[in-house]
Amino acid sequence: MPEATFLDTTELVLNMGPQHPSTHGVLRVVLKLDGEKVLGTDCVIGYLHRGVEKVAENRSWVQFNPYVDRLDYVAAVSNGLAYCLAVEKLLNVEAPPRAQAVRVILTELNRIGSHLLWLGTHALDIGAITPVFYCFREREESIKILEKYCGARLTTHAFRIGGLPAEPYDGFARDVIAFCDMFLPKVDEYEELLTNNRIWIGRLRNVGVLTAEECKQYGVTGPILRSAGVQWDIRKAMPYSGYDKYEFEIPTRTNGDTYDRYIVRIQEMRQSARILRQAAESLPEGPVMAKVSKVVKPPVGEAYVSIEAPKGELGFYVVSDGSAQPYRVRVRPPSFINLQALDRMVRGALIADVVAVIGTLDIVLGEVDR
Amino acid sequence: MPDQPNPTHPEAPAAAPPPAKAPPSKPPAIMATTPWDGDLPRQLKEQFGDSISEASTYASQNFLVVKFDAVISIIKHLKHEANFDYLVDITAVDWPKRTQRFDLIYILYSFARNERIRIKTAVPVASRPESAVSVHATANWLEREVFDMFGIEFEGHPDLRRILLPEDWNGHPLRKDYPLLQQDQGWVQANLGIERGQ
Amino acid sequence: MMPALLKKLLLADLFEGLRVTFRSQNPKYIYTEQYPAQRPEVAERYRGAPRLRKDPETGKTLCNGCGACALACPEDLIVVGSERNPETKKKELVTYTFDLSRCMFCGLCQEACPTDAIVLTQQFEIATYSREGQIWDRPMLENGVKPTEYKC
Repeated sequence: MPEATFLDTTELVLNMGPQHPSTHGVLRVVLKLDGEKVLGTDCVIGYLHRGVEKVAENRSWVQFNPYVDRLDYVAAVSNGLAYCLAVEKLLNVEAPPRAQAVRVILTELNRIGSHLLWLGTHALDIGAITPVFYCFREREESIKILEKYCGARLTTHAFRIGGLPAEPYDGFARDVIAFCDMFLPKVDEYEELLTNNRIWIGRLRNVGVLTAEECKQYGVTGPILRSAGVQWDIRKAMPYSGYDKYEFEIPTRTNGDTYDRYIVRIQEMRQSARILRQAAESLPEGPVMAKVSKVVKPPVGEAYVSIEAPKGELGFYVVSDGSAQPYRVRVRPPSFINLQALDRMVRGALIADVVAVIGTLDIVLGEVDR
Repeated sequence: MPDQPNPTHPEAPAAAPPPAKAPPSKPPAIMATTPWDGDLPRQLKEQFGDSISEASTYASQNFLVVKFDAVISIIKHLKHEANFDYLVDITAVDWPKRTQRFDLIYILYSFARNERIRIKTAVPVASRPESAVSVHATANWLEREVFDMFGIEFEGHPDLRRILLPEDWNGHPLRKDYPLLQQDQGWVQANLGIERGQ
Repeated sequence: MMPALLKKLLLADLFEGLRVTFRSQNPKYIYTEQYPAQRPEVAERYRGAPRLRKDPETGKTLCNGCGACALACPEDLIVVGSERNPETKKKELVTYTFDLSRCMFCGLCQEACPTDAIVLTQQFEIATYSREGQIWDRPMLENGVKPTEYKC
């Protein structure tokens, strides 16, 4: 064995601790490094574990609804949608068409809001400080509509089991269309800032590549799967809440690297605006709540319902034993399962790439830890 | 947080609407399933015989109930022969009054067929089901979480340790005999330096 | 070929981005709200601080002591104290306690109330300096708690 010189490096274990500006929450990543190159990672999670699944067993079906918002707190409305759809499946009711259309509108508004937050914080991690201000300015507009509708900006509790809590306010459809008109030029503005920027391309191209086969192996869904070339979206494959009535495309790319995920999410924002416009222009009339008794008691059974959340496939597996309290509620968290692929994506990359990859996975610790 | 319980309300599990009046003489209600007939269950029954105890449908979602030791071979068969290449979720449900206490549930999805299938198996306490990591890489963290929350150990898992709770925590919270407001007092006092966490 | 190389040398793509940034330096795009001089307008349905409403004509409380809000609350933080009036034989409200520190402002209490007595209003400035100050009793809920006014 050759003699060690001062130029040789040894393995260094570095802690990217729970308090870190780039880990999007309390995520701890223990890096094994050879100089600047990453040899292996170990994610330590659980700093935000609140025992939501245990709480579910001690509340009634209706009382658990507000807790669900706190899972993916960036896009709270989608969590509510998945939970309400799961319980409605157990009860075998379907929300009326007007409720379904409003649900689609709010979920797509939330998807735009979530992608905007992703874009702002991802750019901030890479070093571009300006996009975060612009993204939050647009996110503010989408949150204003949510606030006018249900009364809260972030933890909305926007849906109820069986439909909506109240009629949408006067001017709801007009506000949504005004948002779409305002929003599309802004997406072009973000693209002007970033898409052809050589620093952006240099930081994101060929970083964190995950092929389609690996995505399926790791169970990774959402924009990451679509950037690897698999054209799969639950809104098209197993439509829910009336999504089959709207025309939209599923953006896919082929390389599976971080730059492709950026392009996929920008395109998804445009497609969401398209769905918003169609839904707001064709809002049907009718009741907003199905016939569901005040005390929700589904018959004994179980169901698994999943939706296309902004982060991936968000599923709820609910087991009912016939009483007013759930027996078991399991959240299938997209961020948790996507985070598993981090180790695969950063083998042999540099520390700066670890930051880029954590950003591109779009994790929310509320969902990872529950 | 004051040290004594909040004077406005006693320390009790959170109240829910008054519990349903269940007359004790009625037998417990069971799931109203319908049998699942199709090519897939027929093929699987031919291949695996009586390892598959039940193939049913509830709320138009198909599931199989299989014997404990055949689960991984069925999952492998489904992946290679029937294109179920995506493991959606692994989870467990605790039924404390049964002899086979836990229900281990695997949810699989096939991109090619656009079909979802659930595989349920009953697991007694202190038995070690085989790990699915060799078939689907995503089972790694999912099985760690099932171990953390329920205490079900998986045979052949490369790295079975707690994922959401600290490594040296005692107890498995999602079991039904673990109260809602309980914490591992020893861990809290040793690591956080406070008397109790509540 | 030549223009592409020239673009690369002259940093054209970086200037494209800078043009966006300099364009938004125009003072008419200032977005900052000067809080607390300028308070934000919240929506009508905003779920903020709770209030117990009174009948505007008679001045008596709308709450009939039924306790539906306490049952509906996921966090179990409402305590309703009522006693039966011997003359009218109906339940009357005596004490009402609301623990704001654990409230998640979900609005289930205002949905459950049959008489629209408990409502979540548009007031969002409810910070206090102590934990005890977060437990609101009946007078505080009926009259409201005003936030501190600052001279600015």
